[in-house]
Amino acid sequence: MSLDHFYRFQDLARQQSVVFYYTGYFSQAIVSAMGDALRQRLNQTDASNVQRRKLFSVFIEMAQNVVHYSAEHLSASDSTDQEIRRGALWVGEQNGHFYVVCANPVAREQVGRIRDKLMPLLGMSNDDIKQLYKQKLRSDNDAESKGAGLGFLTVAREATEPVEFDFIDEDGPLSPITMFYLKASI
Amino acid sequence: MQNLHIPATSYSPQVDFDFARHHLSLRGESYPENASVFFAPIMAALDAYLTPLDHVRITVDVQLAYFNSASTKAILAIFERLNAAAVAGNYVTVNWHSDPDDDTIMEFGQEIAEDSPALDVHLLALA
Repeated sequence: MSLDHFYRFQDLARQQSVVFYYTGYFSQAIVSAMGDALRQRLNQTDASNVQRRKLFSVFIEMAQNVVHYSAEHLSASDSTDQEIRRGALWVGEQNGHFYVVCANPVAREQVGRIRDKLMPLLGMSNDDIKQLYKQKLRSDNDAESKGAGLGFLTVAREATEPVEFDFIDEDGPLSPITMFYLKASI
Repeated sequence: MQNLHIPATSYSPQVDFDFARHHLSLRGESYPENASVFFAPIMAALDAYLTPLDHVRITVDVQLAYFNSASTKAILAIFERLNAAAVAGNYVTVNWHSDPDDDTIMEFGQEIAEDSPALDVHLLALA
């Protein structure tokens, strides 16, 4: 990449009011350090206290999702602690709103499961999402989940608009891996 | 039994379970990488403490600035145990401290109070 490309990259980030951008490997230590930096950065913006809290919550849920579930890892694939996995995370500002976008590779066979979790949330009101959250919080854990199985619901609960998601085949339709994108506005 | 003290980190709360004085406290942030790993020894100590108790006054102070979804589930499990201890004949007071403009944490305290009718829950606004 020439410096010229870096300038264009920076320029695009500036135009899109990117507050924070990270791509690479995610671990608990990195998530925690980024969280601290994000909080300090948000203190310099016009974000209300409520917005800052919601943004931080979405950031942590998304970033820990990468640590737990990204299909590309440096840690052993069966470990449940001290994991290091690859992803990218953006925080940006648009017309007084903030947004968080997260991207990480997932195994193609997981696409159906992720879609099934997210699709029902798209048409739900805030109250419906809160009710579903309460119900899930008190139900047994999803066997495939490493947390409480409440990450997507928490993101949807904090968001002021329905979440957006997509799967992009960066390495063609035959690759066993596809890129999962999730966006929430606050 | 031995008291449980775990110092805070930037992503895990300070845990002070002073069993001798029947005072339990959780404060700080809670978003460990794996909440079940972090909370497992806390649950085990709590179970060992609560099981033989009878007619004891327990005070619980919770002052958490943020907790992630997996920690929320663990915190709920702590209150289920405390409620069971109250049903079994102990008297449990919970002081749930939250920032007045943090609706999520305040509402979660309300939900705990609704879920656990045997607990005496006080929702307190931090100044």
